[in-house]
Amino acid sequence: MLKLRNINKKLGNFALSDICIDIRKGEYYVLLGRSGSGKTQLLELIAGLNCPDSGEIWIDSVNVTKRRIHERNTGLVFQDYAIFPNMTVAGNIAYSLHSRKMKRKDIIIKVKKIAEELNIMHLLDRFTQNLSGGELQRVALARTLVTSPKLLLLDEPMASIDASLKDDIKRTLRQLNRKGLTIVHVTHDYREAVSLASKVGVIHNGHIIQEGTPEEVFSKPVNKFVARYAGIRNFFRVRFFTEDNRWKAKCDGDLTFNLSGNNFPGEGLMILRSDAISIHREEPKTEYENRIRGVVMEINSSEFGMEIMVDAGEKFYVDLSVNDFKNLNISEKSEAWITFPAKAGIVLQGS
Amino acid sequence: MLKNNPFNLVLLLLSSLVLLFILAPLAGMFINTGGSELLETVNDREVRASIWLTLWVSFAATFFCAIGAIPLAWLLARKKFPLKNVVQGVIDLPVVLPHTAAGIAILGFISRDGMLGKAADAVGLTLINNPAGIALAMAFVSLPFLINSARDGFAAVPERLEKAALTLGAGRSRVFLTISLPLAWRSIITGFIMMFARGMSEFGAVVIVAYHPMIAPVLIYERFSSFGLKYARPASVVFIIVALAVFIILRLFSIRKKEVYISQDAET
Repeated sequence: MLKLRNINKKLGNFALSDICIDIRKGEYYVLLGRSGSGKTQLLELIAGLNCPDSGEIWIDSVNVTKRRIHERNTGLVFQDYAIFPNMTVAGNIAYSLHSRKMKRKDIIIKVKKIAEELNIMHLLDRFTQNLSGGELQRVALARTLVTSPKLLLLDEPMASIDASLKDDIKRTLRQLNRKGLTIVHVTHDYREAVSLASKVGVIHNGHIIQEGTPEEVFSKPVNKFVARYAGIRNFFRVRFFTEDNRWKAKCDGDLTFNLSGNNFPGEGLMILRSDAISIHREEPKTEYENRIRGVVMEINSSEFGMEIMVDAGEKFYVDLSVNDFKNLNISEKSEAWITFPAKAGIVLQGS
Repeated sequence: MLKNNPFNLVLLLLSSLVLLFILAPLAGMFINTGGSELLETVNDREVRASIWLTLWVSFAATFFCAIGAIPLAWLLARKKFPLKNVVQGVIDLPVVLPHTAAGIAILGFISRDGMLGKAADAVGLTLINNPAGIALAMAFVSLPFLINSARDGFAAVPERLEKAALTLGAGRSRVFLTISLPLAWRSIITGFIMMFARGMSEFGAVVIVAYHPMIAPVLIYERFSSFGLKYARPASVVFIIVALAVFIILRLFSIRKKEVYISQDAET
């Protein structure tokens, strides 16, 4: 559906370098990256607002690199929606149809149809100044979808709306994708990727540094940057060695972990997902592959419930639900035990 | 409401002095002009003709210059090009030039030996002592007001709105006419009115290019130098009243015009 071949583009001191992406028809591709990583510039290249310095853009087996914007059949929804303030909602939606010189009667039919689909019929005659973020988002989607683009490009579509409205927009986007619309969605929020993407690409400093399904990317991040993006906070610089035919990892501070698997490098960066670690108030009776004693240093609320930081020579961050935290009955400065399976340790490539 | 503290009192005093400086001479002129003198001046055909000439020539100069000045303002607001700062400096040049010097420059340009003068002469038109020459002199000194105001208006239109329109299949000209222009409209109208008003009040450049036919500022000067203050004052008062009325009408019209434009554009 969309193929980017070795795209290079210099923009001042920043450059998109050798970008190669393959997106199949009907896929929901989330491009994940921090502000300034080049994701918006990449979307603008795909939409045709800019031309790459080198490389090719193919849409539906057609090389569109030099084609004009309206010949690409893509729709771009901007981060802050870019709704025209000098027009009503209906005027905004009809704008692209006027550009295509459609008959007035057909325009009215199309505008009403898309407005019904996106539940904004009641807004059609209103100007846009007093609309909420969620309403503006729907108007922007309607304005883009009314021309039935083959490819929908979304630039941080949830950055400017309340948390309560995000689920609504996510549902709408999922429905559009289920109907067969190919979507490229750029965001800095990995949770959007987890909940929406069928494929994820991580962009950093103008390079795609990892691509795959959300499971692949978030369970096997290629480096610390991607791991941090996946919400992982437990990083350990370790040396790997074998003892009694078993691989182990030794931290700088003498703490040693048991690992599963083999052929580890001499040394590297090991990560542990917070949700793979269990915490106990007293020494666990049952055998665990990794069992470490520490002191609870911090207890903070988090989006998952509670986040507990345990110092055991190395710092461990553990996520707990509020109920589990209440049942555990621990407080700061109290002793605690953490356990995790050997397979929970992930070694980052190229670290 | 300003609170009654020493700082605010100083502010109030200084602001009042500035306002008084502007209003006192005008008020003095109005007070010292009798009703009968005013009526006589209003009925003076020469005065009426000069005011009418001033209004329509300044309006025509502004209108025709706007056709080129508005696209130039958009270019300055949106595009990067070599020597852009030099271009901007050139545009501001008429503001800092002595207006008599501007008049001399224009005269050189439109006289029979000048480039434009020769071209006009070829079609049987003499620009000196002609409303067309007056319009050129007015435009020369007042054009920066329109260009700068329109440029600021275009610069304030978020570029992403223009990009969004492009992605919705609009051509560059449609984006300009339906997005950039309507959203910068208020600044353009402000610039238009400022250029019109500045052109209307121009004396120095116009008097060198065309003493006749007389625009109002030249007529006022002529009455002052020939007959004295008493005869110049009523003509000044009449001109100020007319200019003020036109200024207010244009302002009101521009606000109404903007609303109408939006509602038409918004139709499906």
